[in-house]
Amino acid sequence: MAYAYLFKYIIIGDTGVGKSCLLLQFTDKRFQPVHDLTIGVEFGARMITIDGKQIKLQIWDTAGQEAFRSITRSYYRGAAGALLVYDITRRDTFNHLTTWLEDARQHSNSNMVIMLIGNKSDLESRREVKKEEGEAFAREHGLVFMETSAKTAANVEEAFINTAKEIYEKIQEGVFDINNEANGIKIGPQHSTGGGASGAGGAGAGGAAGGGCC
Amino acid sequence: MDFFKSGLKTVLGAPEPGHQPSGAETVERLVDRVNNSTLLEDRRDACRALKAMSRKYRVEVGAQGMETLKQVLELDRADSETINYALDTLNNIMSPSQFEEEEDNPQVPMNIGEQFTEMFIKDHHNIQLVLDLLDEYDFRVRLSAVQLLTSLLTNRPKDIQEIILVKPMGVSKMMDLLSDTREVIRNETLLLLIKLTKGNANIQKIVAFENAFDRLFEIVSSEGFSDGGIIVEDCLLLMLNLLKNNSSNINFFKEGSYIQKMLPMFNTPEDTEDPGWSPQKVSNVHCMLHIVRTLVSPSNSAQIVLDCQRIMKNVGLLDSLCNILMASGVPADILTETINTVGEVVRGNVGNQDFIGNVMAPSNPPRPAIVVLLMSMVNEKQPFSLRCAVLYCFQCYLYHNEMSQANLVQTLLPSSTDVSSLTSGQLLCGGLFSSDVLSNWFSAVSLMHALIDNPIQKEQLLRVLLATNIGSSPVSLLHQCTLLLQQTTKLQTKVALLMLLSQWMSECPAAVSAFLRVPGGVGYLVNQTCSNEHDENEYLLQGLSAFLLAICIHFNDDSVENYSKDSLKQLLVKRIGMETFTAKLSEVSKHELYNKAAKHPQLRAKIPAEVLIDYEFCRLFKVLESVLVKSFIVKEEASPEEAGERSSPGGAALEQYKALIRQQDARLQELVAQLDALLQQNQSLQSALNDSLASNSHLKDENTLLKAQVSAAKCVPSTDTTPSQDNARASEYEARIQQLTAEVTRLNDLLRTSQEEKKSAAEELEKLRNDQDDLLVLLSDLDMKVNEYKMRLVSLGEKVEDENPEVPEPNLT
Ligand SMILES: Nc1nc2c(ncn2[C@@H]2O[C@H](COP(=O)(O)OP(=O)(O)OP(=O)(O)O)[C@@H](O)[C@H]2O)c(=O)[nH]1
Ligand SMILES: [Mg+2]
Repeated sequence: MAYAYLFKYIIIGDTGVGKSCLLLQFTDKRFQPVHDLTIGVEFGARMITIDGKQIKLQIWDTAGQEAFRSITRSYYRGAAGALLVYDITRRDTFNHLTTWLEDARQHSNSNMVIMLIGNKSDLESRREVKKEEGEAFAREHGLVFMETSAKTAANVEEAFINTAKEIYEKIQEGVFDINNEANGIKIGPQHSTGGGASGAGGAGAGGAAGGGCC
Repeated sequence: MDFFKSGLKTVLGAPEPGHQPSGAETVERLVDRVNNSTLLEDRRDACRALKAMSRKYRVEVGAQGMETLKQVLELDRADSETINYALDTLNNIMSPSQFEEEEDNPQVPMNIGEQFTEMFIKDHHNIQLVLDLLDEYDFRVRLSAVQLLTSLLTNRPKDIQEIILVKPMGVSKMMDLLSDTREVIRNETLLLLIKLTKGNANIQKIVAFENAFDRLFEIVSSEGFSDGGIIVEDCLLLMLNLLKNNSSNINFFKEGSYIQKMLPMFNTPEDTEDPGWSPQKVSNVHCMLHIVRTLVSPSNSAQIVLDCQRIMKNVGLLDSLCNILMASGVPADILTETINTVGEVVRGNVGNQDFIGNVMAPSNPPRPAIVVLLMSMVNEKQPFSLRCAVLYCFQCYLYHNEMSQANLVQTLLPSSTDVSSLTSGQLLCGGLFSSDVLSNWFSAVSLMHALIDNPIQKEQLLRVLLATNIGSSPVSLLHQCTLLLQQTTKLQTKVALLMLLSQWMSECPAAVSAFLRVPGGVGYLVNQTCSNEHDENEYLLQGLSAFLLAICIHFNDDSVENYSKDSLKQLLVKRIGMETFTAKLSEVSKHELYNKAAKHPQLRAKIPAEVLIDYEFCRLFKVLESVLVKSFIVKEEASPEEAGERSSPGGAALEQYKALIRQQDARLQELVAQLDALLQQNQSLQSALNDSLASNSHLKDENTLLKAQVSAAKCVPSTDTTPSQDNARASEYEARIQQLTAEVTRLNDLLRTSQEEKKSAAEELEKLRNDQDDLLVLLSDLDMKVNEYKMRLVSLGEKVEDENPEVPEPNLT
C-alpha cells in the first residue's frame, strides 16, 4: 500500500478516441468494445514501479465531448501528467490536437508532462494518420509520442509508465516543486498508519461493564 | 436612527426644509451619488450608507441599486473598503432570511432575497466578479465574498452550481480558501463548499481532485477528531456530500488510503475517566459512521463494496467498530448506528463475517458478540431501533455465507454438544415462540435468512426437534411453526411464519412433505386463501397463504398420500379457482409495506407497526410469483399430453420456460417503448417548464422594479408633476402591478401543474425502470434454469440443440 510518490494524470482528447478504454486496459487489463460515453470525469488508479520505487498513479479520465470542455479544464491545474489521445483512424481527431494542446498549456502548470498517443493501432487497414505525422507533431511541440491499442494492449503499459518516468526524472532534476500539491505530485506517507494494534486492547478495558448492548 | 440620519446628511447634503425624505428617495439619491461622484471617498460613503439602509429598505436598494453595486465590484476593486460595503449590501439584498427591520413591513415579499438573486445571476458575469474577489487577500473582502456566494447558493443552488462549474477555476478558487490560515475564512468556506457540492457529481469530483480529503482530514485531526467542535462535523458533512452516490469519488477515497485516516475517529478511549459523550461528539461520530456506510452501501457496485470492506478489516476499522459495540457508556443512538454500520461492513464478505463471528463480548461468562446482540434483539425491553439494527446486522452476517448459515442451524441440531451455554439458535427459537410479537417476527426472519439459497440447511433445519412439554414426545420445528401459524391471532407473527415457511419450502420437496404431514396445515392455507375479508392486511395474509399453497404444489414430490401435486391442484381449482388464486397472489405486492421493504435490504421501520415484510422475502416472491402462476396455467393446458410429459419432464419444463421467456421478452420490449415515450414526454414538459420559468422570472423582475418605483413615487411629492397627475400615475402603476401579479400567479400555477406533471412522469419512469430491472433479474434467473434443464436433459441422454431449441426432443424409452 505504501508508495514513494503519487502522480496525478489526466487523459484528454476528442470523444471516441479510446481514452476510457486505455484507462480500463491499464487498470483492469480489460477491453470494452462498446463506446460508453464518459459523463464528466471518471477516476482510476494503479501502482507501478520505477527505479525500484513504488509509484501510485491516480488517473482522471475526462469526457471528450465539447459540452464537458469547461469541466475538463478544472483538472489541468492539479495534474502532473497528461495523456493527449487521438484516433489514428479519424483524421479530425488529429487535427484537433492543436486546440487541445493550447487549452492544456493555458490551464496547466508549465511542468506538466504531456504524452501524445495515437490510439487504435490495431486498425491498420483503416488508418488515416501516418505514424510519421504523429511523430512530427510531437517533435514540434516537445511531447513524447507513442502509438497504442487499447484493444490489444500494445504499448498501453508503456504509455502510462513512460509518462511517469518523465515526471520522475523531472523530480530528480529538481524541476518540480514536490511540496506544492498543486503540481499533482505527492510524497508517500513516511509511516503507514497502523491502528489495529491499539484497537485490540479496547475490549479488555470495557470488561467491567457487561457489553454495551444488553 | 438619529445617528444614521445625521450620517446621511453629510453624504446627501442638507434636506430641503420642511420635507422629510422617504426611504426610497434617500436610496435614489445615494445610488445617484455612487454613480456620478468622481471622488472615491464620496462613493465609499454612499456605499456605506446603502449598506446601512439595505436591511430596512431592501426592496428599494435592490431595485434601484443592483446595477450600481455591480459596477462598484468591477470598477472600485482597488479600494477594499468600498468593495466590502458593496458586497455586504448585495448580501443583505439577497439574504435568504428575513431581517428584524422588515418584520413589520408587509410590502416585503417573503422570497425577496430569492427574487433579487434571480436578477443578479441572470448575467453570469456577476458571479465571475464575486469569484474574482476571492483572490483578494483582504480579510473583510474575502469573507464577504464567501458569504455572498453562500447566500446565492442557498437561494438558487442548481443554477449557481451550473454557473460556477463552467467558470474556469471557479471551484479551485474556493478550494484554495480551505487552506486560509484565518480560521473564520476557512470555516465559512467549509459552509460554502457544503452548499456547493450538494447533489452535483461534477463539482464533487473536482473538489475531490483538488485534494479536499487531505485538507479535511488535516482539519479533523488538528481539531482533535471526534472530540473536536462543530468544525469537525462540517468537515465530515462535506466528505459525506463528496461520497454520496458518487462511485468515482468513493473509488478515489478507497485508492487514496483515506479509509485508514478515519481510524482515529473511532478509537475508544482506554481510560475509564473519559468525560463521556458530548452532544457534539455524538454528532461527529454519527457523521463518521454515515461515511463508513456510504462506502459500503449495498447500493454501490459489488466490487467497490468488497474492496472497501476488505480494507476496513485490514486496517482495523472493523475492529474499532466492534470495540464501540462492546464499550460501556455509549449513547443508544450511536450504538444502534454502529450495529447497522458493522452489518454493512461485513455484508456478503466472508472474511469480515468470520471476523465478527469470532468477536467475544467481555461479559461474564464470555459470550460471542453475535449471541449478545441477539439477546438484545429478542429482549422486549431494548429500544425498538436497536432491535431492528441487530436484525439487520445479523442478516448481513448470514448474507451469502453458507458457513455462518450452517453454524446457526448447527446450534439447533440434537448433536450439538455444549448444552450448557446459550446459543444463537436457542435464542431465536425462544424468540419465535415467545409472547412478544416483535421477537416472533425478528426470530422468524433471522431463521429465514439462514436458509436463503441454501438447500442443505433447509433439510438440516427439518431435523430440529423441540421439547414442548415434559413427558410428551418432541415435535419438529417445522411442525411447531405450522401449529403456531394456525393458532396465533397476531398479524405480524402470522406474516413472519408464512415468510419463513415459504423460504424454507421453496426448492425443498422434503420440507413440503413435512409441512403436508402436519395436521390442518393445508386446510388452514386453503381457508385463508378463500377468506373474504376486506382490508389491506387481510389481503396480504390471503396472498401469502396462496403463495405458500402454490409452493406446496410446485415443489411437491408426490411423497405424501392425499396431497400429491395433482390432488392439491384439483383442490385449488375446485375450492379457490384459478382466477381467484392469481388475483389473491397479486395482492401481496400491492401492500404498501411490501413496496417499502422491497427497496432496501435494511428494514426501515420507524414504529413497531411498520414491521411486517422482509426484503429477502420480496426477492423470493418476485422470482417465484410468475413461475408459480405460469406453471399452473401451462400444466393445465398441457394436461391432455400428460403421458408425453411424464416421460420427458425436462422437455416440458424447458418449453414452459421458453414460453415464459418469450413472454417476458415481449413485456420487456413493451416497457422499453413505454420508457422512451415517457422520456420524450418528460423532455417536452421540461422545455415547457423552462419557458414558463423564464417568462415568470421576467415578470417577477418587472414587478419588483415597479413596486420599488411605486413606493418611491408614492412618497415623493415631486416638483414637476401635479398631484393629480401623480395620483393617476400611481393608480396606473397600481393597475399594472395588479395585472402583473395576476400574471405571475397564473404562471406560478402553470409552473406548479407542469412540475407536478413532470414529477409524476418521472415517478412513472422510475417505476417502469424498476419493473424492467426486476424483469431482467427474472430473465437471467430463467436463463440459468433453462440451462440447468438443458444440462439435465443432456444427462438424461437427450440431445439439446442450441441453435434450434424449438425442435421437439425425441423421447427416450
Ligand atoms: N479497435 C479498437 N477500438 C478501440 C480502441 N480503443 C477504443 N476503441 C473503441 O472506441 C470506442 C470509444 O472508446 P472510449 O474509450 O469509450 O472513448 P472515449 O475517448 O473515452 O470517449 P468519451 O468518453 O466520449 O470522451 C469504443 O467503442 C471502443 O471499443 C482500440 O485501441 N482499438
Ligand atoms: Mg470515455
